[in-house]
This record gives sequence, structure tokens and C-alpha cells, in this order.
Amino acid sequence: MEKHTVKPYDVVVIGAGNGGLAAAIRVLQGGYSCLVLEQHNLPGGFATSFKRGRFEFEASLHELNDFGSPDQPGDIRTLFRDLGVEDKIDWIRIPEAYHLITTDKQYDCEMPFGIEAFIDKMEQYVPGSRKSMTEFFELCNEVRDAQTYSNSVNGNTDSSYMKEHFPNFIKAGSYSVNEVLDALHMPKKAQDILNAYWCYLGVDCDRMSFLHYGSMVIRYITRDAWMPKMRSHEISLALDTRIRELGGDIWYLSPAEKILTDDENRIRAVRLSDGTEIPTRHVIANCSPHLVFGKMLEEKSVTEQMVRATNARTFAGRGFTLFLGLNKSAEELGIKSHNYFIYDTADSVKQYDMMRKVDTNHVQATVCLNNAYPGCSPEGTCMMYFTTMFMSDDWGNVSETDYFKAKDRVADDMIRVFERETGCAIRDAIEEIAVASPTTYARYCGHPQGVIYGYETADWDSLMPRMMMMKEDAQLFPGLRFAGGYAMRSSGYSSAYVSGDLSGRQTVGDLKREVR
Amino acid sequence: MKFKKQLFGFQDMLRFKKLVPNRRAALAAGPDTPLPKSYRTNELAHRLHPGYMEVELTAVRPLSANMTELTFRRVDETAFPFFRAGQYVSLQAEVDGSLVSRPYSIASSPRDALAGKLVLGIERAGFFSEYLCTRAKPGDRMRMTEPSGEFHYETLRDKHRIVGIAGGSGITPLLSMARSMAEGDEDYEMTLFYGARDTRHLAYSAELADLAVKGLRVVQVLSDEEKDGYEHGFISAQLMEKYVDLTDVTFFLCGPQAMYNFVLKELEPYHLPLKAVHKDATCCGALDLEAPRTFRLTVHMRDAVHTVDAREDETLLAAMERAGLDAPNKCRAGGCGFCHSKWLKGEFRIADGRDGRREADRKFGFIHPCVTYPLSDLEIDVPVAE
Repeated sequence: MEKHTVKPYDVVVIGAGNGGLAAAIRVLQGGYSCLVLEQHNLPGGFATSFKRGRFEFEASLHELNDFGSPDQPGDIRTLFRDLGVEDKIDWIRIPEAYHLITTDKQYDCEMPFGIEAFIDKMEQYVPGSRKSMTEFFELCNEVRDAQTYSNSVNGNTDSSYMKEHFPNFIKAGSYSVNEVLDALHMPKKAQDILNAYWCYLGVDCDRMSFLHYGSMVIRYITRDAWMPKMRSHEISLALDTRIRELGGDIWYLSPAEKILTDDENRIRAVRLSDGTEIPTRHVIANCSPHLVFGKMLEEKSVTEQMVRATNARTFAGRGFTLFLGLNKSAEELGIKSHNYFIYDTADSVKQYDMMRKVDTNHVQATVCLNNAYPGCSPEGTCMMYFTTMFMSDDWGNVSETDYFKAKDRVADDMIRVFERETGCAIRDAIEEIAVASPTTYARYCGHPQGVIYGYETADWDSLMPRMMMMKEDAQLFPGLRFAGGYAMRSSGYSSAYVSGDLSGRQTVGDLKREVR
Repeated sequence: MKFKKQLFGFQDMLRFKKLVPNRRAALAAGPDTPLPKSYRTNELAHRLHPGYMEVELTAVRPLSANMTELTFRRVDETAFPFFRAGQYVSLQAEVDGSLVSRPYSIASSPRDALAGKLVLGIERAGFFSEYLCTRAKPGDRMRMTEPSGEFHYETLRDKHRIVGIAGGSGITPLLSMARSMAEGDEDYEMTLFYGARDTRHLAYSAELADLAVKGLRVVQVLSDEEKDGYEHGFISAQLMEKYVDLTDVTFFLCGPQAMYNFVLKELEPYHLPLKAVHKDATCCGALDLEAPRTFRLTVHMRDAVHTVDAREDETLLAAMERAGLDAPNKCRAGGCGFCHSKWLKGEFRIADGRDGRREADRKFGFIHPCVTYPLSDLEIDVPVAE
């Protein structure tokens, strides 16, 4: 193997996904040199687009939450502002929250943004739900304020301050979504409708922490959701551009193969598969601890504690997406909503269980992008994407020779369910089609089993203890921090950007302490 | 509001306090079995999409007056990836100091690939194909990209009945599609119209006759020769109508641009939707310029900077290859995006109708060197093909 040694960098970021890109900008803004290594030829990881015929498809983003308007920015818009990319991107507002359909004919509800509008609509669907819904949002507000406080002190919260200012946050903090909603005496039907966002976090509501769900819902409903006009590829290229402006380097088609350590088990370099070594003391890994501790980190430096802590965790959903370019407009086809959640049942525990197997999974989170941005495809056409997840490694049973057919079977089911539940006949209008299976996600992003949601934020590993253990977790291997969907904040666009922001700033802190 | 789950609020508080100790204990209690080195889904992804493959030429066989068949085996593995019939590979080699590469459609079937064999049918048409057809010999090693491309059947989009129209070496992907049907991996019914000047220019006659027994309908059309068992003339709508209902099929066209122009004009009166006709992409060649200027092209590749000559009539990719720079590329038609590179400075133009970039690529200054020509000195940042 040819050994080519290049100049040292203060920080090497492995992976140009959402977390890695944000982290790199933070490192550069802190005044340190940074190289981003990306195995693929594009930035963004899942945040990208691809072309088929006259369509440019969004690869994964349904909506960016906690974004808000320019005047009332949410946390993510503020972050983009701080990173220096807000103005590089053209933004469009998503018109409504979601359209929930369950195929057992229990629900067909369209929910709006805005707390009052949301509560009013819920009262229409479920008379008598107003009081519990109002209390729910009050509680969510407190959750959000507590988290803002926690972030402002970098996770080093003062417990008496917490008790005094956020008593409900603490009292609700150890319970699941369903436990809290029951305690609020929310009517079952209202719970079902409210819980529709659960698939965005990928954990059923018996095991999902209320704090996690509540903080997400409040961000969606109060600050509404936005999209970049040119698909998420626009965000990724804006971040790439910003990194170059700040003097950082990005190498594409450059998979990091090994993290090399010295005699004292400190990081000394990152090695590419062609043998190139990049000297560095700090790595931000925008990939899973399973890959880092299982394959990338030199074996002599892998400790039993790393192995146990990694093995203890549970993979979240494996992704599957169908993309359709249709040769009729959304209006002609009768597709009215931007964002559909179609479930077999509103019971998330039952539903989660059905999602373990490819054959029993009929869930879809479906977007018709034209209903948020009519100009996203040529006049007289529209674009849709249908996403689901598998809650076990069932897809791993697919053989090579059955692969293309297996993709078609799931895609066919998605089309059938959508047509049946909405009455919109789309099949004959299919002009372009693409299918991304867990295999596809494994191929492009390298995640184990094609997981797109990182580790499950359920039970003991839910968001709150993760946040409280931020410092402790980083001690597992000083010099290494994680960003992206496998990091502390878990998956989803906004979370990934926040994780990169945190890890980038914390690495700057590490570097400053070293000088001292 | 005052939230309370248990009878006394302090009980809720206590539970909260246990979150961290609980998680700490759970992390420490994870099994100490070694972390997996690989995962089934990722292994499948790697088998289907190995990236670059090392291959060896095992057989060379003349096919027709202007076509040669090359058979390859893999050196780095035993099996080629299972692919979708109709796809291409890019073959890459060093010839006389230049790196050269071209996409060629696969003629063999996906099952053959699994059995370790991949076959290309190559028409002598340019520098590299001339080399492959006349100088390459069994035992030669080359680099090949994984099978790629969207020119293939889509079960949920296309009609059950399909019509293949082949001209010249355009027979290769359609032969693969017919083979895949015969082997049961595709469930369409296929009619193939294969046009050539005369029988001397027809390839794969024996193979097509064999496939005809297995359900393929083959109509061979000669423009310059009249012969029993062959249609005479061009592949017109009138001729095709003798065999199929043109309004209830999906077309797959592969051949020269002139053939595409002719067939599309023939199909115009039927007002078929766009989705009814698929055309395979063609390589982007040199521009026809009278006195092309030569510019300086500065290429950043990771931490290295190269300066090479770039002729006004040649793509940036061709300029880099001539200088021996290993720039990534696959389709050479502007569509696959594998050569995606950052423009830094200078003027350029893009081949007509071949700007396959994403919208944001245009906004932030990214280009596809395989279809981009220089109009001044130019500076770009290109990934290294690995």
C-alpha cells in the first residue's frame, strides 16, 4: 500500500452528512483547521437529491422542523444563521402539519400548524379534548424552555434551578408519551391523532420518552416547518460552500478506513483506503459507534467499555423510500395534502410490531412536494415520495436474485395502499420511479443494516439521560466525538445539525483546553 | 398547570433522578462480544455495488463486420454483481500513457454475471474501442465500474409488452434484456426490431435465433439488402405495426442518434406519453470546431494541484484523462453525476441538451466534466477516482 502523508489538520471530520458539515463549520469558525472526508461523491449523506428524466427528487427531507420565519426564527434557522448559510438557501414554508389516515377507518384527519388552530381542530375531531390538549402544550412549552436552558449551559444543569423553574418537566421527565397523555386525561382519540408524528422518531409511544416527543411536537406546531427550494441538496452544497469560504477542505470519494492511535492510545491520524494518512488529534465521526469501534479504530485502542456500551444499544428503523415522478399535476390526481401519515392502526405499539417484518409493514409517511412548492417539477407533473421503516433486520434476508423484485413488492404495496386510502389513482401516471431500500441506504451512507434513524431513543436510552450524560459519554474516547443520527441528539435533520453544532463547538473547547 | 403522575410529586422527581444511573448501568451491562465486522444488508449492498472491479479479458470474438465481443472475468472476486438487464459498465484502461474509459452496455445476462462472466459487444468507433477491438488480448487486466444506468425495465412503470429497437451495437443491452426475460428474471413480453445495413453488420444471429425459441419475437430489418426472413427498409411505424400494437407497449431504443430521430418521428402521430419511450444515453464526444483554442486547466485533486492543457473542443474529462489524471467518470453523457466537481474559476460551456446537473449544482458552481468544455483558462476541484 502506497503511503502518502499529507499536512496535519486540527480536526478531521469523517462523513459529510448533516452533522459532519455543521461540525466542520463550527471548528473552522473556532479558528482551527479542518478536513472533511466523504466516501460518496456528494455532500449531505441522506440530504441530497437525484435526477430521473425531467424530475429532481428530494432524497429524504420531509420538512425541517423548528425552523420558523425570518422574524421569529426557530432554533434551526438561528443555527443556520450562525453557521452563515441561512441566506445562501431559498426557503419555502410547509402549508400544513399532517394528514393522518389509518386504514382501519378510524381516522382521516388534517391537522394545521399553530397551537390554537391545532387545539381547535382537535376539538372538532374529538369534542372534550380541549382541556387536556391545552395542558399538553403548556407542558411542552416547559419542556422546550428547560431544554433551551440545558443547551445554554452545555448540559451542566443546576438541579435546584431546574426544580424551581421546570418542576413539571422533571415530574413528567421519566415517563413515556402514553403515560403522560393518560395522566393528562386526554381522550384516547385525541392521543391517537396527536401521536401521528411518532414515526418521525421511530419508537412506539409506550417506550418513547414524553420529553422527546413533546419537544418535537411543540417545535413543529409553533414554529412550523420549512424546506429548501432546490431540495436538501441546496442545504448540503451551501454548507460545502461555507466550509470552503472558511478555508476548510472537503475530499469526496475519500472513505476513511482507519483511525490510528499512538502508544498512549491517543488519536494520531486518519487513514484512507489508499493508504493516505492524515495526521490529526481530533476526529468528529459522522457515522455510527458500531462502525468506529467495530472497524475503524485501531484494535489496540478498543476497550471493553467501548464494546459493551456499543453493544448495549438498539438500532432504530431501516429505511425504505419509493420516489415517483407523475405525469399529471397533484390537482388532476386529487392529491390535496403535502404530508400524509398512513398507518394500519393508530396504536403505535401494535404498529411498531407490524413494522418488524417486510411483509406486514404497510406504514407510509408520504409527501407530495408540489403541495408545498408547486414549482418543484414541470407544469402538469408532480413528485411524490413514500417512506417507511423496518423495525428489525428482516430486509437482510433478501437474496441477490430476489433484490429487484423485493423492492418492487414493497413499492407496489405502497402505491396500492395510497390509492385505496386517498382515492387518488396514481399508478398510470408513473413516468419515473426510483426505490431506495435499506441496501441502498447501506450503500450510500454505510450505516449498519441500512438504518436511517441511528439508535432507538427508547426506554433507558431516551433523549433526556443522553443529554444529561453528554460529558460522560465523550469520555469513552477523548479526542473523538460523534455527530449525525447516531450522536446524542438522535436522528432527523434538525437533530443532526444540532449534534454537529454541539460536537463542533465542544471539539473547539477541547482544542482550547489543550493549549492551556 | 401542575403535572403529577404518581400520587405524590416527589415520586415523579425520584424517577427522574434515576434516569442517569439507569442508563449508565445499561451501557455497562452490554455484552462484551466483539462488535460485528459486517452486516447482511451491507454485504448485499457491496455485492450489488462494489464500485470499481478489477477484471481480466478472457476471450475475444468477432461479432460482425464492425463489432467485437469481449468476455471478462473478475479478478478481485469471483462473481460480478447481479444487475438490471439494460445497464452498462464503464471500462477503463491505460493506453499509450493516457487513461481512457468508455461506458459499454452489457450483452450478457444478470445470471451470467453471478456465474462470473460479463460480456461486452463493442463497435469500432473511436480511439478506445479501436484499441479494445484490435489490440486487447486475453489475459489483459483492466478496471471496470459496477453496472449502472436507468435504461432498464421498471415493472411498476412500464407496460407488460415491450418493444426493443436496436441499431448497430445498440443490440447489446437489448440482448441482455431478452436473455434476462428468457431466464425468468424479468416478466415482460418482448419484441425486438434490430436494424442494420446488411447481414454482415448483424451481430448475435445465433443467439437471437436461440432466444426466439424461448419466447423472444425478433424482427431483423436490413436497409441495404433484401433477403428472405428479413424485413427490408427502416424500422418505421408501419413496419412495427405488422407485429405489435404501438399504443400498448413501452419502447426501449438503443442505437445511433439518427435512429432515435427517425423512430421518434415515426411515433409522433401516436401522441404517446413521454414514459412510453426510453432511449439509452450516448457518449458525449468532441465539438466540431474549426480552430479550437487550447487553454490551461488547473485541477485540484485532494492536496495536489495539476496543470494540464485543455482543448476548446474536448471535454474537461478528456483533457484530464489525456494528462493521466484519474478523474471519476461513468456515463460520459452528463447524467449519472459521478464526475460531479467543483468549479473554481474560468468560463465553460456545456454540451447541448446534456446538462444533467441538479438545480443547486448550478447555483453553487458544480459541474459535470464529462460534458463540459473550456472557454478560457479554468480551475476546478475534482475528487480522485479510487
